[in-house]
Amino acid sequence: MKRVTAALMVAGLCLPSAAFAHGASRLKLTESVEINAPAARVWKLIGNFHDMSWLPGVVKTTGSGGNDPGKAKRELTLQGGATIDESLDRYDADNMTYSYFMDKVDVKVLPVSDYSSTLVVMPDGDKTRVTWRAAFFRADQNFNPPPGLDDDAATKAVDAIYKPGLAALKTKAETPGATN
Amino acid sequence: MSRARFVRRSLTVAALLLGTAAIAAPAAADEAFVTDQNGNSVSVLDLATKKAVATIQVGGKPAGIAMAPDGKRAYVTSPEGPYVSVIDTAARKVLSKITAGRDPLGIAIDPSGRFVYVADFDTKHLEKVDTNAGRVVGEVSVGTSPCGVAVSPDGKTIVVADRDDDQISIIDAASFTRVGVVKVGQHPFGITIGPKGQRAYTADVVSNTVTVVDLAGRKVVGTVKTGLRPYVVAVNDRYGFVTDEYVGTVTVFDTKTLKPVTKINVGDYPEGIEFSSDGKTVYVANWFSNDVWAIDATTFKVTGKMPTADGPRAFGTFIRKTP
Repeated sequence: MKRVTAALMVAGLCLPSAAFAHGASRLKLTESVEINAPAARVWKLIGNFHDMSWLPGVVKTTGSGGNDPGKAKRELTLQGGATIDESLDRYDADNMTYSYFMDKVDVKVLPVSDYSSTLVVMPDGDKTRVTWRAAFFRADQNFNPPPGLDDDAATKAVDAIYKPGLAALKTKAETPGATN
Repeated sequence: MSRARFVRRSLTVAALLLGTAAIAAPAAADEAFVTDQNGNSVSVLDLATKKAVATIQVGGKPAGIAMAPDGKRAYVTSPEGPYVSVIDTAARKVLSKITAGRDPLGIAIDPSGRFVYVADFDTKHLEKVDTNAGRVVGEVSVGTSPCGVAVSPDGKTIVVADRDDDQISIIDAASFTRVGVVKVGQHPFGITIGPKGQRAYTADVVSNTVTVVDLAGRKVVGTVKTGLRPYVVAVNDRYGFVTDEYVGTVTVFDTKTLKPVTKINVGDYPEGIEFSSDGKTVYVANWFSNDVWAIDATTFKVTGKMPTADGPRAFGTFIRKTP
């Protein structure tokens, strides 16, 4: 069974440029968490595009361009060695938000395409609301994508990062002295 | 409250109380018919009261829309239908569904209201639908992954953004044949013809530009730098307004100098954009934040925000002038 899934994924990878076909429509997903810590402290943890250490599974962030939209690029190295390339599209420190685009990812790591994402840190009294939202297509944008490359798989995969990611951020931000 | 504002508000209240009873409606208000792709519906917004007044279920992940010039019908593409829904705008209901291609996306209507042109994203065709007969009556080959479609004000010329060929196709409406191809920026998505009918403007999503094409000369006359991931252009005599999807802005440029004038912050993932029937307001559909924003076309100030169902795209002409 596992081999079949892998074969399907390879088939998906080998599809020609028709992989952009419009049979798919864009999906959206929003997760948020309330954190019992001031917004400034939370922003200090996640406000640097070149530090994704708060996200479980990311072992290294390298890149260049600082927090300069249009210039900044980063490469995330995940546990197991897979990498994800991303570039910064929008950065607004005053409003504690940034947006980025995923330039390159193996569909075996994350079965999505044309993925873009925004993080927003919003003060809520002496607490903080962090919202993480994604816009993406499934990995195989053709009609009738195989299981694993369909809408459902894409949404589940993103949610499987966002939920524990925000939970880990909450724990880190609420732990005294944990700020970098 | 200032006296003037008090008087104005009182008049508004009076108008609301009087309702529709036997009183001539004030100067024609517009409505917006917004395709909600994720919600599978069309949201109808009253642009005078800035409220949602109806939701029409269409299914099939609706994306494109063409409003009939007389405002009586709206034609909505559902790529995952795949079909085109014919909507009775006053009754807020779907009259019929027409099969037009395998993956209908962009759509435009000719000034007489007789023919609707549908870009079939998968098959490199533009379909011609006779709205009287309710079926496809013609087909012409265009480039790869055709997206936006526009018709000149005189109805004689149709243009199509062939996204994956980085070009536009120019089609003679009478003979329904392709008469020209012009290379533009990378991956043109939306395409709009200016009010004089002389120029086409493409939003090139990968190169972050608007390409301006002289239709008679079939050549590029200029390029405008936009924000990230430009999607659709609205053009009047003086300015072009471009939705920049990934940065949540509208880039305004001067149509004479082709230089940027300003950027306006709007909602998240702005897509469809069009002027009110009097040209004074620009409406923008924000796909992620599920709303439509109104912008003053002269001062560039945001003047209203209206909620829609999930995933508003409004890709095409979505403003209806009510009778």
